Amino acid sequence: MTRTRPTTADEPVLGFAVSVLFHAAIVAVSLFYFRNVFDAAPETHAVPVDLIQVAEKTNVQAMAPPPPKEEKIETQQTPIEPPPLPEFQEAEPSPEVTIPKFKIQPEPRKTARQQQDFNALLNKLTKAEKTPPKNAKTADRIIQGIGAMNGMTADLADALKSQIYRCWSPPVGAPNAADLVVDFDLQLNQDGSVASLRPSLGSQAAASANPYTRAAVDAARRATYQCQPYRLPADRYAQWREVDPLRFDPREAMGVR
Amino acid sequence: MKKLIAILIAFLALAAPAQAALQVDVTTPNPQPLPIAIPEFVPTTPAEAQAGANIASVIRADLERSGLFKPIDPKAYVDKITNPNVAPQLANWRVINAQALVTGAVLTQPDGLLRAEFRLWDVYGGSQMIGQRVWASPNDWRRIAHKISDMIYEAVTGEKGYFDTRIVFISESGPAIKRVKRLAIMDEDGANPIFLTRGDYLVLTPRFNPTAQMIAYMSYIGTKPRVYLFDIETGRQEMLGNFPNMTFSPRFSPDGNKVVMSLENAGNSDIFLMDLRSRAVTRLTTDPAIDTAPSFSPDGRQIIFESDRGGAQQIYVMNADGTGQRRVSFGSGRNSTPVWSPRGDMIAFTKQDKGRFNICVMRPDGTGERVITSGWQDEGPTWAPNGRVLMFTRSAQGGRGSEIWSVDVTGRNERRVLTPGNASDPAWSPLITNGGS
Repeated sequence: MTRTRPTTADEPVLGFAVSVLFHAAIVAVSLFYFRNVFDAAPETHAVPVDLIQVAEKTNVQAMAPPPPKEEKIETQQTPIEPPPLPEFQEAEPSPEVTIPKFKIQPEPRKTARQQQDFNALLNKLTKAEKTPPKNAKTADRIIQGIGAMNGMTADLADALKSQIYRCWSPPVGAPNAADLVVDFDLQLNQDGSVASLRPSLGSQAAASANPYTRAAVDAARRATYQCQPYRLPADRYAQWREVDPLRFDPREAMGVR
Repeated sequence: MKKLIAILIAFLALAAPAQAALQVDVTTPNPQPLPIAIPEFVPTTPAEAQAGANIASVIRADLERSGLFKPIDPKAYVDKITNPNVAPQLANWRVINAQALVTGAVLTQPDGLLRAEFRLWDVYGGSQMIGQRVWASPNDWRRIAHKISDMIYEAVTGEKGYFDTRIVFISESGPAIKRVKRLAIMDEDGANPIFLTRGDYLVLTPRFNPTAQMIAYMSYIGTKPRVYLFDIETGRQEMLGNFPNMTFSPRFSPDGNKVVMSLENAGNSDIFLMDLRSRAVTRLTTDPAIDTAPSFSPDGRQIIFESDRGGAQQIYVMNADGTGQRRVSFGSGRNSTPVWSPRGDMIAFTKQDKGRFNICVMRPDGTGERVITSGWQDEGPTWAPNGRVLMFTRSAQGGRGSEIWSVDVTGRNERRVLTPGNASDPAWSPLITNGGS
């Protein structure tokens, strides 16, 4: 009997066995390895944050004068003084300066028309969000699927995304939405708290050159810290302990992608 | 075959410990006002206690009004800042969900000026974002507060603030048949309103020059409406040019050296440019239709204006010398009163469509039109100096009189600007700068 060449039906069995073996090994190794590392983490986390701010940022003893900052000199200037009344051509006695009583008017009642206005506004907003073509998003997902972002981790990415976005309020008034796209390298502790969060070199450079990007980096950092700890499946910690890049990209929401 | 498996094993063994990092794209922002705590500024002597409280209170009001911040009620604070020169216990501010904290002190300088020092803290990031000193005459404590608001706004949003600015507008009083319209000016927050004219003559369309020292406006002094200049510092007003017919709709060039305006002649109005130093006048349009409401681009190279040369009012653009005139608004309805954003990226205008007046924006080439507000009569937009917020005149049906409203360029945060009585025709000043020192 001649030996048949292995069919495609045999290969997956072998592959599957190998895969199971190694995944089990990886999980076992990482669980064993990281248990020690992260037992201590929750305590160490809060401390460095406070230490950094005192040592690096403030660096003063109590009652010391504030660290030298740019000084903004403000003196009384003419624009501040109330302007005198105009000189009129007609020879009339100069009228008294009338400073109107500053009445705070009650909030205008919400009429049916204003309600409509509000609805119109909402409709408008909803409309705006519809504009990006649906297929663009799908295409993104496929591209992301290449490499580390595959079917195995897509659910983790979605889980993290859904927890971060609630806290994310970027400065959407920027004239150029692309300035607001920022990348971070996020390391997470096993309890879902932030171990470290660093903007990518590219985002750091952009932030130092562009005030909108700097504000975007700050907003993303606030979001990431504020919404921690992240609830992610503990048994898959190895897959989510590092998120790189953690990208914040409001372009689609701003309707310019 | 065995070799292949061996290579695969080796590859997996290498790859497995260096677990590839997860990639996450966060694409859906949740725009919310930033919760910020602004405790009273700590006084150095009891005499400054009131100033410390007042300054903090004005900063809170400024930031709240912008719609981008949510100042936390001081009653909710669990910590008290007693020494602003040491790092605050940020954990105590996290408890009340503050994302930013402003700590500050006030003191009286030896020269009698009031000085405020403040720091803005990133409560979750654990760092100081900015720290600055601002000083001025004690009477100008509101301006100190506005300056600080501007710096906080800029640190958080990346764009310049607009709190240390003023609004010139037309204050309206009296019964509808005998309406008194006076030129008036106030701070951006509605404080310090002052009438500049007494109301003997009708005044319309006031506009600031780039230093906020001069106002161009139209007034019916004598028999014909004409453009006048008003110097805020001296209170002196003068007629701009001596034209046989009416002049109206003035606006300064970005360098402040020229005024562009409409000049009417036998029912036809065209746009003219006057050099304020030489008083030389250049004609920019010659069309038999009504050309008016000119507004310069921030670089001074182009002028956007309205014209009914195509039948109904639409928006056109031309070079600053009058060449290259072309229509840019092709949306529905009639489009008028275009104003170029100080940032250059947008044109705000009034759209009259289906019986409503709307405030809209579009790009300078006419694309990307968006309705920002819609009302029975919303008209005459003016830009904040950062190109982020608009003010406009709103009149409701039923003759309640006109009011000034503000709205973010995203269409959010529509608010009434508090004025003494009815008001219309607002014009936003540039950021107030200090000439000297």
